[in-house]
Amino acid sequence: MALLEIKDLVKRFDGRTVLNGVTFELNEGQTKVIMGPSGCGKSTLLRCLNRLLEPDGGQIFFRGEDVALPDTDIRQHRQRIGFVFQQFALYRHLTVLENITLGLRKLRRLSTAAADKKAAYQLERMEMGAHRLKYPAHLSVGQKQRVAIARALAMDPAVLFFDEPTSALDPLMSLEVAAVINQLRSENVTMLCVTHDVSLARHVTDRVIFLDDGQVKAEDSAEQLLTTHADPRIRQFFGQPAALK
Amino acid sequence: MRFSGILALLLEGAGYTLLVTVSCVITGLVTGLGIVALRRLFGKGVARLLALYTYVFRGIPVLVLLFIVFFGLPGLGIRPSPLVSMMLSLGLVCGAYLAEVFRGALDAVDPHEIIAAEVMGLSRLQVILSIEFPQMLRLAVPGMLNEFTTVLKYSPFGYTVGIPEITKQAMALASTTLRGIEIYTAVGVLYFGIYQLLCLLMRMIERKFRVPGFATQ
Repeated sequence: MALLEIKDLVKRFDGRTVLNGVTFELNEGQTKVIMGPSGCGKSTLLRCLNRLLEPDGGQIFFRGEDVALPDTDIRQHRQRIGFVFQQFALYRHLTVLENITLGLRKLRRLSTAAADKKAAYQLERMEMGAHRLKYPAHLSVGQKQRVAIARALAMDPAVLFFDEPTSALDPLMSLEVAAVINQLRSENVTMLCVTHDVSLARHVTDRVIFLDDGQVKAEDSAEQLLTTHADPRIRQFFGQPAALK
Repeated sequence: MRFSGILALLLEGAGYTLLVTVSCVITGLVTGLGIVALRRLFGKGVARLLALYTYVFRGIPVLVLLFIVFFGLPGLGIRPSPLVSMMLSLGLVCGAYLAEVFRGALDAVDPHEIIAAEVMGLSRLQVILSIEFPQMLRLAVPGMLNEFTTVLKYSPFGYTVGIPEITKQAMALASTTLRGIEIYTAVGVLYFGIYQLLCLLMRMIERKFRVPGFATQ
């Protein structure tokens, strides 16, 4: 069953159409990667899906319920989506542990002890248990990304969104993040990942959506799309010779 | 009159000075934080009204405002006490300045952190109280200390509405003992002592809430 079903999603900024009828599905337990040239609307798409940006048209079905409707409980909807940002967005004044327990205490209404226990589990899962009392300023970028993922996972989201998770990381750390995403994939966590990183796409998914001019131009297996797709423009984008058949 | 007797009366005045300063600082803090929170919670209409308040209150001399409250309001049937008059004049002016200090500090809070909190599903008020205010207050420490010092230095206006703070005591003592140089020197030392006390208090608070790699270090 589709966890997310996006139909004809439209988003405009000052008369400029950024998303122009985006349509695709994401099934429970599936991982899909969205790729495309800069400015094609990848991040805008993620932000529309959790209503951080208001879509100008189309439908977003979340487990069959249209969450693009004006009367949707947006806060409730957002709590079902874990979001990992390109800039990590860890709260600088809170320790690693507090970063994770904040949502558990304020939204899930867990006691401090219960929130700490749950956060400790997620930190161990991300191999960050030893760093729980550190502040974000004392973490490496790779560690920050792991904490950001642990923070998102602690809320038991139905789906995890990644917005360019490796763009701030060096190749070695990118591989680490890819390994984390793969680990989650093996645990059947549903994920939607926006990235420019071809290597990440190859490592973490078998389905890639190619977005261009605000539309889904292709959706195919990673291997097919990245190497032998019929559309020369898509092959060119991924660095393959246009003449390759 | 022996100097120890003069000093005792000046110390009594110092108690009133502290009372006026602390009352006005609390009024200012509540007002400043209230303005910032209302600005973040409501739309542009409310923000414009609040901007007008800070603009007007920063532009009127504290003494004029104090006279409007203490001598003007009784004409409308409202008779505020001298301390309340100080809070409604000096305290509100302090609030207007603090709102500006807080506004600047709030601009330094990383917008990605605010978005991350909203995306998590926290309400606007929860984001303000859990993310924005804790960071803003840490960033605003130097500006806040500056404002608190200004309040201390304006506290002698309490004399004009009958509060027996240090300056009033000193003027009365100087006119009866003719030992102005000793008395006013002692007054200066007392004010400096209270200022140092404020600095010490702020340093303690800053140290307690210090976060490695963040804000004022």
